[in-house]
Amino acid sequence: MEVFPSQEWFQKVQEAYNSDRELHSGGGGACDTTAGFSIGENRYFIEFAGLDCSQVRQCSEEDLATTDFVIEMPMETWRSMLQDVQKNGKASSNMTLNSIDLELEEGIAFSPIDDQYKQDLFYRYNQNFQDFFDASSRVQTTFES
Amino acid sequence: MADKLSSKAASVDRESKIVDPTKGVPEPKYDWRGLTNEWGVRVIPGPHGLRLGDINVGSYGEVPDYWQDQTRRPRGSVGRPGIPPLPYSLRSKHELWAECSADLYEEAIQRRWIPATEVPWDSLKTLPDDIEKAVCQMCTELSQSANTELEIITYWQDRMSYGYFEVKQYLATATFDCARQLEALRKRALSNGGGLGIESRGRVNRIILESSGGWTEAVVYLYLLRGTYITRLLTGLLSAAHNEAEAFIYSHMLEDHARHLTYGYDHLEYASTHHDDASLIMGTLLAVGEAHMAAELKEGVVSSAMAIIFGGGIKGARTHGMERYLVLVRDFINDYLAICRTLGIDREKSLHPVFKRYLEG
Repeated sequence: MEVFPSQEWFQKVQEAYNSDRELHSGGGGACDTTAGFSIGENRYFIEFAGLDCSQVRQCSEEDLATTDFVIEMPMETWRSMLQDVQKNGKASSNMTLNSIDLELEEGIAFSPIDDQYKQDLFYRYNQNFQDFFDASSRVQTTFES
Repeated sequence: MADKLSSKAASVDRESKIVDPTKGVPEPKYDWRGLTNEWGVRVIPGPHGLRLGDINVGSYGEVPDYWQDQTRRPRGSVGRPGIPPLPYSLRSKHELWAECSADLYEEAIQRRWIPATEVPWDSLKTLPDDIEKAVCQMCTELSQSANTELEIITYWQDRMSYGYFEVKQYLATATFDCARQLEALRKRALSNGGGLGIESRGRVNRIILESSGGWTEAVVYLYLLRGTYITRLLTGLLSAAHNEAEAFIYSHMLEDHARHLTYGYDHLEYASTHHDDASLIMGTLLAVGEAHMAAELKEGVVSSAMAIIFGGGIKGARTHGMERYLVLVRDFINDYLAICRTLGIDREKSLHPVFKRYLEG
């Protein structure tokens, strides 16, 4: 059982995602980008290279500034999204990154250097990120209380 | 036995009549060998294979600001005197270039999808009549937009010189993306008991297709103005998808479309930083474009179709469906203004009044 959010949890999801191409349901093919996740007090850095998620690790606020874009949402929303994935095997239509992005007033993806081109990578590689989080259905997850 | 003998005799007779095939043929010349601008190039594939951008090495990677040649001479090859010119009118780099073109080409050919077999068509279920009509109307609208994009790219592609082959190759993938969008949208409209809806008036399609001042002008209308709006429509449709088939189609269209915008925005940035007055010209074009876009937003059927989809039917369309659509338009205008700021185009002060009203909500 891995705790969300933690580096161990992300690395287990990375293993699941990289080990089974069947999980790459949408947008299969090259994806070269870096992104950050802002989850409560924690920051994570993720890199996709080619067909794989090449690294994911806990990082600092400064590291986030080097990424193409950052996904940030309230802790309750992260939790709801992942609980939905655990329950259904993948995100329901109202719990996808895209739907949550539209639902929240400010959206969930932003460029740390306010670069619209970089921010658009969120749309270009949207399915890779969705597939990554959908892969967490294969990781037994508990949440930080 | 007699037959065999006569057959053998006939064969000998034929052989005696064989003419030397090289007789009368000019002696082949081999003086082309060694005619090269740079030899001995040996690019080694990287971890992601041998990509188009990887082979831009040495003189082969030199992309001039102006391409003198009006022939199909591949960049880096030796020119041949006396080749008649072809009508390549776009020969300045600022007229078409985007640094990301080679990478986008690779991405496009790797991130392909097949509507016939990959879309889970069996997930389609009968929808209430008003919703099916709205979905089919959006398929009709977006088909026309994709068709317009395809036509304007191919129109200008013909005029782009070969010195900038990365752009030509990338745009070839963009036209294929458009064809695939047309295919997927048409299939969705014709596979769930509905059909295509009413043709759009096509105001914005027309200004895109009639943008005769250059490819950059077309990009301003196609990607900066209308393309930014289409991104919002696709994210909206994706979030309101009624089944796995629609989710698959819209999510893949969104990714393809985002790639197109990356080229478009990147090209406009290159043009604005490498050509005097480019930002001012873009501002002037946008003032005209906004008026057409505003009229289309006001008169078109997209607003009511999207409101029905968001509202789950006509009843909901009148309340939360339309509210959600108006938020979508507001988000589009904010995105549009953000890109304009990045490009150094001042549109906020003289933004079209209809756009302003959407922002004020």
